[in-house]
Amino acid sequence: MNKTADIVIIGGGVSGCSIGYYLLKNGAKNVVILERDYLSAGATGRCGAGIRQQWGLELNCRMSKFSCEFFENAVSELEFDGDVEFHQGGYLLLISAEAELEQMKKNIALQNSLGIASRLITLDEAKEIVPYLNTDNLLAAAFHQKDGHLNPFHTTQAFAEAFKRLGGVIETRTAVTGVTVSNGRITGVETDKGTIQTGTVVNAAGGYAQGIAKMAGVELPLYSERHNILVTEPVEPLLAPMVMSFSLNLYCQQSPHGSFVMGRTDDSQPRDLRVSAYSGFPELMSRSVTGLMPPLKNLRMLRQWAGLYNMSPDKAAIYCEAPNVSGFYTAAGFSGHGFMMAPATGQSMTELILGLTPTLPWPKMGLDRFETGELLLEPSVV
Amino acid sequence: MRINTHPILEFKRGAAVTITFDGKPIEARDNETIAVALHAAGIRNIGRSMNLHRDRGLFCAIGNCSSCMMIVDGVPNVRTCLELCRDGMTVETQHDKGVLA
Repeated sequence: MNKTADIVIIGGGVSGCSIGYYLLKNGAKNVVILERDYLSAGATGRCGAGIRQQWGLELNCRMSKFSCEFFENAVSELEFDGDVEFHQGGYLLLISAEAELEQMKKNIALQNSLGIASRLITLDEAKEIVPYLNTDNLLAAAFHQKDGHLNPFHTTQAFAEAFKRLGGVIETRTAVTGVTVSNGRITGVETDKGTIQTGTVVNAAGGYAQGIAKMAGVELPLYSERHNILVTEPVEPLLAPMVMSFSLNLYCQQSPHGSFVMGRTDDSQPRDLRVSAYSGFPELMSRSVTGLMPPLKNLRMLRQWAGLYNMSPDKAAIYCEAPNVSGFYTAAGFSGHGFMMAPATGQSMTELILGLTPTLPWPKMGLDRFETGELLLEPSVV
Repeated sequence: MRINTHPILEFKRGAAVTITFDGKPIEARDNETIAVALHAAGIRNIGRSMNLHRDRGLFCAIGNCSSCMMIVDGVPNVRTCLELCRDGMTVETQHDKGVLA
């Protein structure tokens, strides 16, 4: 393992690999990614894989538009010898309450002003997209064709291979055990495989970001929450868009392989880094999804798993250098949307670390917002 | 082929029924599974692999391996090694991942 590095990135998920790629592409040298397990082992490989631009905050819209446009060309941009399986079947956001409808109208006006061609559609139009949709408790829907879903494993692999091609080093099965700080500056990273001297650490540890920060004496206002997902047996194509309902707290998509992947939010879930399976989940998920899409009653579930949402107080990501430890950077708190924002994360963190002119609104996404009260409250999350 | 006499086991045959397999009538018993009835009728190719569409035969016979999935009375992905025969049942070879109604 390298004894020294200019920059050490902690976390081999999509965020860490994207940050590594953008850093090298913009001239950084001697960058190492440390991953405790294997690439995509954490939240990236456990996520619902949705890619959407329909947000209620301008900066989330801009970050996701940048990311979505990157994903459209990711295979050639990253020179990937494979397919990232970007399926742009749209995001169908179901609306079931008046307040939700009002919020969605505001969101769509904002999105349209930023060049995102989302639109409010009637239930009849929604049924043209998903003919068997049960519209009983719905009012309308929002739809954006360029949203969709993407393969998290292949995408992370594509970033990782491009990173290595540019000279980056990835150490998997290497757990960070400490971050050393001297006189308020980062001096190194300790792992179970040895120590690396470095002046710059990027904390991209997803659900474990607050723990990594603590090692450096940095307090982050984050917690991690368990979210459950299941996958079914594959069937022939039946569902083109990602279907999402904020009031039912669920999302559901059919992967290119034919299996359905679905999850739901549940406030009762533990916040102690557990990712064990929740026995109550399959029934709750099945009841809500088959009520909405009855043909799914004939699908068999194959397995369930869980991953960590890294929650920030306003459900928007944090891109920052720690105020008390220079050289300690964090990209975390994605609140369930780190995968789809990964290209913007790579670009933003690179601009922040290398002191480049901001092209994305990351300067508003620092830690100081929690002190000044200029929160970035995202109204539209599951 | 069915084993009619066995030195240790005793077979209790169910009532005779007829099922239809890809349009052809197959004699079966109502206490045997579809896969067993097809096997007894000499039908060995009972599934297709998902990607290369190659022949699959009876393999695990206990509902685990997904080699014997067929369309039964219009419902795809039925594990025929577990499903018992009923008179007049329509069984079809499944050539795709299954089309949900």
